[in-house]
Amino acid sequence: MNVEPANTLLAEGEAQKLLKSVLGRCPERAEAIYLEADEALTRFANNHVHQNVRSRRRSVVLRLFLGKRAGVASTSRLDAQALDDLVERARAMAELSPENPDFGDLPPPAAVQRLAGYVDATAECSPDERAEAVRRVIDPVKKAGMVVAGALSTGSNLVAVANTAGVFAYFPSTASNFTCTVMADDSSGWVDVHARDWRQLDTGALGHKAIEKARVSARPVAMPAGKYTVVLEENAVAELVAFLGWTGFGAQSYQEGHSFLNGRLGQKITGERITIVDDAFDARTLGMPFDYEGVPKRRVPLIEGGVAKGLVHDTISAKRDGVASTGHALPPPNPEGPLPYDLVVGTGEHTVDEMIAATENGILVTRFWYNRVVDPRNTVITGMTRDGTFRIENGKVVGGVRNLRYNESVLDVLARAERIGKTALPTVFDYTRNCVVAPAMQVRDFNFTGVTEF
Amino acid sequence: MKDIAARALDTARSRGASYADARINEERMQFVEVKNGRVTAIADTGSMGLGVRVMVDGAWGFCASAEVNAAEADRCAAVAVEIARASRKVRDTPASLSPLAAATASWETPHEKDPFRTPLSQKVDLLLAADKAMRGVAGLKLATSSMQCWEDKKIFASTEGAYITQRILHTGGGIVATAVSDEDIQVRSYPTSFGGQFESGGYEVVERLDLPGHAQKTAEEAVALLTAKPCPAGESTIILDGSQVSLQLHESCGHPSELDRVLGWEANYAGMSFLTPEKRNALAYGSPAVSIVADATAQRGLGTFGFDDEGVPAQRSDLVKDGRFVGYLTSRETAGSLGLASNGTMRAESWSHIPLIRMTNINLLPGKWKLEDLVADTPDGIYMLTNRSWSIDDKRYNFQFGTEMGYEIKNGKRGAMLKNCTYTGITPRFWNACDAVCDESDWEIWGTPNCGKGQPSQTMRTAQGAATARFQKVQVGVGFKRSAS
Repeated sequence: MNVEPANTLLAEGEAQKLLKSVLGRCPERAEAIYLEADEALTRFANNHVHQNVRSRRRSVVLRLFLGKRAGVASTSRLDAQALDDLVERARAMAELSPENPDFGDLPPPAAVQRLAGYVDATAECSPDERAEAVRRVIDPVKKAGMVVAGALSTGSNLVAVANTAGVFAYFPSTASNFTCTVMADDSSGWVDVHARDWRQLDTGALGHKAIEKARVSARPVAMPAGKYTVVLEENAVAELVAFLGWTGFGAQSYQEGHSFLNGRLGQKITGERITIVDDAFDARTLGMPFDYEGVPKRRVPLIEGGVAKGLVHDTISAKRDGVASTGHALPPPNPEGPLPYDLVVGTGEHTVDEMIAATENGILVTRFWYNRVVDPRNTVITGMTRDGTFRIENGKVVGGVRNLRYNESVLDVLARAERIGKTALPTVFDYTRNCVVAPAMQVRDFNFTGVTEF
Repeated sequence: MKDIAARALDTARSRGASYADARINEERMQFVEVKNGRVTAIADTGSMGLGVRVMVDGAWGFCASAEVNAAEADRCAAVAVEIARASRKVRDTPASLSPLAAATASWETPHEKDPFRTPLSQKVDLLLAADKAMRGVAGLKLATSSMQCWEDKKIFASTEGAYITQRILHTGGGIVATAVSDEDIQVRSYPTSFGGQFESGGYEVVERLDLPGHAQKTAEEAVALLTAKPCPAGESTIILDGSQVSLQLHESCGHPSELDRVLGWEANYAGMSFLTPEKRNALAYGSPAVSIVADATAQRGLGTFGFDDEGVPAQRSDLVKDGRFVGYLTSRETAGSLGLASNGTMRAESWSHIPLIRMTNINLLPGKWKLEDLVADTPDGIYMLTNRSWSIDDKRYNFQFGTEMGYEIKNGKRGAMLKNCTYTGITPRFWNACDAVCDESDWEIWGTPNCGKGQPSQTMRTAQGAATARFQKVQVGVGFKRSAS
């Protein structure tokens, strides 16, 4: 028995009616966002399912202006009384807030490029289907004498934005993710794949990849801290590049003076083979076609040929710089300002196998973990390797190594990339849901500063 | 609401659940931020919903909805049972819950001034005053002041007969001064980083912080850091202020003590733990100066409540006693695997999430030292204050932390200011090198409002009580060495 209807997202006409109803209650200019998510996740550990959840969430977020004053309020209730209360709370906030010259401007309506982001099969995926997909991983893991933990998620999301200047934008989408960590006695292997269509997640094949990583990295040896040639797989590169987005590609951080790009726009800041753009329409991302102000997303070159080229903007930061918004506003209240959510790193000419073959003595890194900023001006971050760290000798992977701590400048790493992968894969970050599409890289003199116990 | 919760439980039971609980939460948050003289964010958010968790034939299912009515209670319960039956297909051994006496109770966070009744203008004025005082310091680039409060009205009901209502209030705020040069970015926060200090309580928490009164000094320190000496590299004695010890506790004791991590449930995401079961009552986690408790009954902590989200009463339990590792943070399901009863640490971010084992208040018990005596007793070392960066491996061994500011200690006296202070180590070696903890006069229960865990990911507010402490032979000055060369 399936007790759930399939698509529960608010239809376009209903969403428009709802937002119009909210805006109609507002005294002046206002912007209203409707967010809805219907998400399920099957989680497994120790070779069985131990958590299994589904939730339907929704909220209306209102940003209400009184001249140059603004107030933000939100609610999950959609009845008339709740919407009246929502407007009243936002108005109370605005009335008591001092004027801010940055506030009050709303973007005008603009044509939004179509983006097909909704896959029925993902929205309709049942708990039994997820269980069966998980079993395709667990069975071979058991057979290999190993243990697996992970999660398979499927769900649908809706973002609808309207404002009193006439904007209305509506984007339903689906997303799915399969990730697992296979553990042997003293080693582990990890995979993590995202797709709008969950049927593209070949959980059996992904599980085998993780099993193989755990098998090859068994009996890890401790390699001393120092500088090594590394082959960084796609996820590892994405973990590093994401920090450029969080610490400097947003216009607000630049305007406030604490971006790593301050004083460097137009200058060569990394290797000339490095190109990074923000592009929500790249099919490898899980982007949306407009931002949370309803402004169409633009493709923004950020680094071209190693030269710092641009920043992403929302309406407020764009006005400060006298330019147009690039469509990178986040939901209000948003202390961070605009951020790039769909970074795409340019590809090169090599496969990971070719990079390994071209490494005489080095380390292959599956992923980095718990990465944090150390020196924001110089893009130095620290973190650990995890779930698949291998020694390379004479062009071959010869076994596992204990996990290592690194301290590295992201821009320096990109400048020292000797080889760049010919394909790029997306990494989606759990809390922020932003995406980085990155190729693998072979990097010389990667700075490992410590070793852990496993 | 009681009827709706009961309806969900009845439906779950009638569809085959051997156990079910229903949580109905109404959540509210208010946030105000001022930057360089302007109110840049002012928001009042709200959310309400129902979450139904069921066990069917020893397997779990959960379903949550933003609509709270009888029909949705029925639907959520039915979906949760359907999900649990799917879970059972990929589970060999059934889950079970340790025994619990069902409670009927109400609990509210003790507070003096309801933060949602405090006039907004009062909050804005206070932040603007702190902002103005920071911007009065020459050379400051960015002044940020903010405050935030949360209200969580919770109903918990279970098929075992529990019915618990709680109103939990968390309040706090802080200031951040940012100074910038062509080569450097330095920040100084008060009273600590991550948005400031947050506690269980009302607006009196913010008033007690006296943000305007500390603004000028905070800004002056940020500007001074630009020209301060860099932290030296090598091995050193370090003294960490209470807020930094608090985060050290959070990362290197709180997380590895979570029994779900130990059992592998978080292996794919947050990670596992070096505190494996055979180490309980055996491992010298720290020196005899180190005793750590998990105490949900402590006053003012973000991990203070009446009951956890499984209906287990708040309690205090030992994690590390006189240096020896003795206990875990547990849930009803995990505790049973060690033959224990739950010590009440299950909390969910919201109605739409299942509860997970989360830190309550992880408190390092105060020692006997006065801060001035500790400095005087240190011939050569570094005094580090206020977290700036933090990273630790997935079993919680290898860590690296950075602080906003430091001072040289020479011949028992505080010397020159240091910037870019970092230190690194291996958890049990580090805590075994702790030879002094300051007394209650220096002890504070520090809030951590941004603790992440779980799939789907959840954010939780936790606390760690700590005083200034000293550690011997620690590697310092990592990370920045490279860029300085």
